[in-house]
Amino acid sequence: MSATVLAHDADRSASCGGGVADVLASSRPRWGRRLRNRLALGAVVLAVAATAVPLASVIWESVRRGMARIDAELFSSSMWAVVGPGGGLLHALVGTLLITAATALIAIPLGLGAAIFLTEYGAEGRLASLTRRAVDIMVSIPSIVAGLAAYALFSLLLGPGTRSGLAGAVALAMIMIPVVVRSSEEVLRLVPQDLREAGLALGAARHKVIRRVVLPTALPGLTSGAVLGVARIVGETAPLLLVAGFTDAMNYNLADGRMTTLPVFIYTQWSAKGLDTAAYDERAWAGALVLMAVVVALQLAARHLPAQIAKLRRNR
Amino acid sequence: MAALALAALAGCAQNETPSGSGADQLKGTVSGAGASSQSAAQEAWKAGFAAVSPDVKVNYDPVGSGSGREQFQAGGLDFVGTDAAFKPEDLTSLGSCAAGSGIVEIPVYISPIVVAFNLEGVDSLNLTAATIADIFTGKITQWNDAAIQADNPGVTLPDLKISPVHRSDPSGTSGNFTDYLAANAPEAWTFGETEEWPIEGGEGAEKTQGMVSALTAGNGSIGYVDAGQAKALSWASIKVGDEWVTPSAEGAAKAVAESTLETGRGEADLVYELNRATTAPGAYPLILVSYLAACEKYESADQAKLVAAYLKYVTSKEGQEAAAANAGSAPITSEEGLSAKVSAAVDRIG
Repeated sequence: MSATVLAHDADRSASCGGGVADVLASSRPRWGRRLRNRLALGAVVLAVAATAVPLASVIWESVRRGMARIDAELFSSSMWAVVGPGGGLLHALVGTLLITAATALIAIPLGLGAAIFLTEYGAEGRLASLTRRAVDIMVSIPSIVAGLAAYALFSLLLGPGTRSGLAGAVALAMIMIPVVVRSSEEVLRLVPQDLREAGLALGAARHKVIRRVVLPTALPGLTSGAVLGVARIVGETAPLLLVAGFTDAMNYNLADGRMTTLPVFIYTQWSAKGLDTAAYDERAWAGALVLMAVVVALQLAARHLPAQIAKLRRNR
Repeated sequence: MAALALAALAGCAQNETPSGSGADQLKGTVSGAGASSQSAAQEAWKAGFAAVSPDVKVNYDPVGSGSGREQFQAGGLDFVGTDAAFKPEDLTSLGSCAAGSGIVEIPVYISPIVVAFNLEGVDSLNLTAATIADIFTGKITQWNDAAIQADNPGVTLPDLKISPVHRSDPSGTSGNFTDYLAANAPEAWTFGETEEWPIEGGEGAEKTQGMVSALTAGNGSIGYVDAGQAKALSWASIKVGDEWVTPSAEGAAKAVAESTLETGRGEADLVYELNRATTAPGAYPLILVSYLAACEKYESADQAKLVAAYLKYVTSKEGQEAAAANAGSAPITSEEGLSAKVSAAVDRIG
């Protein structure tokens, strides 16, 4: 097809002696097509703007309203025995870090294990397709249902009304595991089959190939998947209010007692204000700003950690 | 920054210093959950109680009345805050209490619900229950309607459309508001008492904060909201007997005092049959009464002591005044009869 067009053009320029300009003119799209091109470009630019504006407004608003309370007291106090203005979110920050770490400790090994099974062992087997379907369903489970499930589990094990950071971590793990499985499976699939075959051909056992070849190769991608999974759960409120409860005080013990996280802190400051509403609003916005900083830090880590890991390995 | 990180690692918030000097030797944790309407009051009580008994930690999860009651029945809570009292038939199985224990149920948080409006140039209005009902059912649609003008001589009402705002989520506030309308204007309000807004359409707002934002944003809007949260809005006076009564904490406490206890309940089960149609001078019957429920007997006598101490503080003069200062509620202690009954009920714990 294109060959004939070329031949035709060559033919024409040769016979008419019109030269290059003529050829260009004939190949220039007509104005209708150019207009459509412009319109499409305009629409795409508009879409980009429409996506960026809410993001910019969220950041701007949190900074504008949250800065008022970004002070030393915020990071060195809890809300224990605080009425009205003052107080801080140290208890919520510590709670967020502890519960998120516990969640990651549960979800990453389980999720990664499932992904290894899916790519390395299960392949197209029946169990693998069952697992994939289960993961698909888990992805769409509303977070409050995960919270209820954890609540029921811990009520059964430790008696009714049990609240603990650990129960919260279990609820969040149910949300995070499918995210980790999905992303890890994708990354593991990207490891070239040749590498695996080379390892096997050298006489290495399968588990050894996975440990020494597949996982190290996929590590940067696995890391970023795990961090994105953490970013997914760090902002959960509803399941935590249910199973981890709400407290004004510090709690460092995941296994015992109520533990507040940043989203729960923000929610309670916003939804249950005293007469001095400004103090509650400011704390809520400051909490939002801190939570956003945590999430952004995680996203940056997800972007840069893989490269750093790769560099470290190269230098070794 | 390094100092802050160090403080965090060392595990102490600067406002939480272990004292061990609690005069009353009480030590432990008291866990409650329930109505979010009480949150601001609970905050004041927790802080005030911490000053008296620094080694007792009180927690209160604002999960909602219904959820709180269920958890109390299932067991594992020391007390529950609820906008609607337990039904007598629910009291047979209380998982949180010792076997055979009765319930202690006391009104601790009384708050006027205000009919709040946002109308440029108008700061106060008189509205009868029938007029309010007509506004919310859509019968009256303009601010300068003759029915409104008749009760507000001398006020220049604009020719503006009224936009009534209701709560879109099931809420105790809606329940109390509709109960008031049903009791005072049964012809105009035919839907009875309902926590779920009964009329299709209209502007709905989620939770108290949603209601406040909707009212603040729209000129010509009117809604109903807990008085403590409506400081920035204009309040309507309602007609009680032949008088116009502005919402006030005193009026709210008075309306409770004018009401009778529900019969057929235990001695410590102080649940009020609110007399919404009271004509007592100064009473403001459009109120929310939120209860605290606890057990007469707990599995552990020590736990009973802790709960009793907390409830004693909550119902004390200091406790009620602390709540009034932070949440704008009406102290129950301003009505002596009510206060005495409540104290007697709390004394039965343990």
